[in-house]
Amino acid sequence: MLKSISQLQVHFNLLKSATSLQQQVRTTFILKRKYDPLLHKTNENPRRMRAKNFIYELVEDTQVKKRPNMEVVLKTFVEGVGDKGDVVSLKPNFVYNKLLLPGLAAYKTPENIEKYAKTEAEKSTVQHSSAYAQRTVNMLESIVLAVVMNKDQPWVIEPWHIKASLRKAGFHCKDECITLPNERIEGPDLKKEGKDFYCTITINKLEQAKLKCRLHHWSTDPSERLPYVLEHWKIPSEPLLGVNLPSEKNV
Amino acid sequence: MQSLLSSIRALAVRQHPGDALRCLHLTAVTEAARKGTREKARKKKVKVEVKKVGFIPHNQRDNKINVKRADKHVDDSWKQVPKDDVYVGRYYRWTVYSVAEAIQCHRETHHPSMYNVPNAPLNVEIELNMQGEKATRFVDNFQRMAMIPHKFAHGEERKIIVFTKGNNEIIEAREAGASLVGGVELIKDITAGELLLSDYQYFIAHPNILAELIALRGLMKRKFPNPKSETLGTNLAEMITKFSNGISYSASKDEYQQNFGLISACVGTLDMDGQQLEENIRYLLQDVDTMRPKREGRFINRVLLKSPPSSEQLKIDPFVYVPELWDKSTMKPKREPSGKKVEAEEQDQAVAQQASN
Repeated sequence: MLKSISQLQVHFNLLKSATSLQQQVRTTFILKRKYDPLLHKTNENPRRMRAKNFIYELVEDTQVKKRPNMEVVLKTFVEGVGDKGDVVSLKPNFVYNKLLLPGLAAYKTPENIEKYAKTEAEKSTVQHSSAYAQRTVNMLESIVLAVVMNKDQPWVIEPWHIKASLRKAGFHCKDECITLPNERIEGPDLKKEGKDFYCTITINKLEQAKLKCRLHHWSTDPSERLPYVLEHWKIPSEPLLGVNLPSEKNV
Repeated sequence: MQSLLSSIRALAVRQHPGDALRCLHLTAVTEAARKGTREKARKKKVKVEVKKVGFIPHNQRDNKINVKRADKHVDDSWKQVPKDDVYVGRYYRWTVYSVAEAIQCHRETHHPSMYNVPNAPLNVEIELNMQGEKATRFVDNFQRMAMIPHKFAHGEERKIIVFTKGNNEIIEAREAGASLVGGVELIKDITAGELLLSDYQYFIAHPNILAELIALRGLMKRKFPNPKSETLGTNLAEMITKFSNGISYSASKDEYQQNFGLISACVGTLDMDGQQLEENIRYLLQDVDTMRPKREGRFINRVLLKSPPSSEQLKIDPFVYVPELWDKSTMKPKREPSGKKVEAEEQDQAVAQQASN
């Protein structure tokens, strides 16, 4: 009975196909003896080791060691990484899963660098100003910017109002990046409270983001203030009457 | 023969009665010695009393124990430096403004069309690395007065007494704005109890009255005029202006992180001239830098400009105004006088203690 089982196992092993892909397994542990064996006399055999000589202390586990960055050449523009032909150095897991497997990048070799370098034609037609511009566009388009204006003093919205409001929301930009709608937006006007208008943010004079702004009125005197609206950005949008999108000509 | 042997054995085995007695401890001396050693041994043993703690309901337990706290020293140097002209702040290092730019940003948010507080106070928050010369030693909390060149309404009531003998100096002090100026007769009033020192915050003295002033040492205690805190000197007018217009600030260590100190002080209002505000910030930072411990590395870690009611905090670079790292060569000549001053202060304290006793 035992024999037959062993034969069966042999047959299974024979039937098994050899693995063509040898996966590298990192199972190296660097150890250190806790108790060193005693020295032995010259020209004599070493002493027999005791049980305690086989107690080890872990020095390093190579499995949890941080692996160095990997360099690859990008085949196309990748958002948040770089443009075509760029040599980027990133964490190996990210490179493997997000760049090499989807075919967005190739290993850095002199041939690959040459192969994926930008041609003159591609250089002249710039589509992306930087790796992170698109992310900024996405984030700007996803928010509803609160533009807090005064309830008592007259005002006309100017680019620096939007700039200051963006800074309060954690976005940094310059005055010249902001394009307001052509129509003047004046106040204080409580009819405009909570109404939306759009302005355009131009990143690196190339990418454009449509930013939704919501007007709010604020008074310096606490008793004059309007009741607090919790999470105003979740309230459905109501456009500001008579204000259109900023025209493309100005940009 | 046998009988002889047995008699010899009996002689050998039988003990002398005196020997048996000697084995017993009878004398008082030996007894006392034993008693002492036992006591010593008993004293050596430290009793570890385990206090039994009854059940504490979960909602009444102190949640602050065993809480992992984030390091208050913010280090964002691992983040990228922005290259685009529009960027999302949280993915990049904090923007470092110049003081003029930061003031301009605050003026924008406080403009009449927005918050409408153009005369809002401009506050400075200075984050300090309070570690002393050794890793386990920390700089003590300190309270100081920084002299500033451009005064503003700080909104505090500061009453100053000036002690001096000379007539010219009394006039000088009056003109500088001291609330009370006097000489020996003033000291007598105070010792007689006609005038309460607790009504006044600052005591300034001219060295010519120091001998008489010692009578007030016990009353003034740590506020006794001394050159280290710049309350004792010949230039009375300057000292009075410093104490009436200066920025009073205090550095306090964090409750849970001993190496994190914070100073928050007001340096002016937003409607002041930008240059003047910058000068004030410069003097404040230089005053803070005098407290720097003698060790390598930074003392001032980060400086933020704030202005209520806006919650914006804008980072500025303090190392335009003060040296970033400790310089041994510049500190050496200063070392000796500072050591002497410390001694003097210790003596002061000792005298004050004696007086209070």
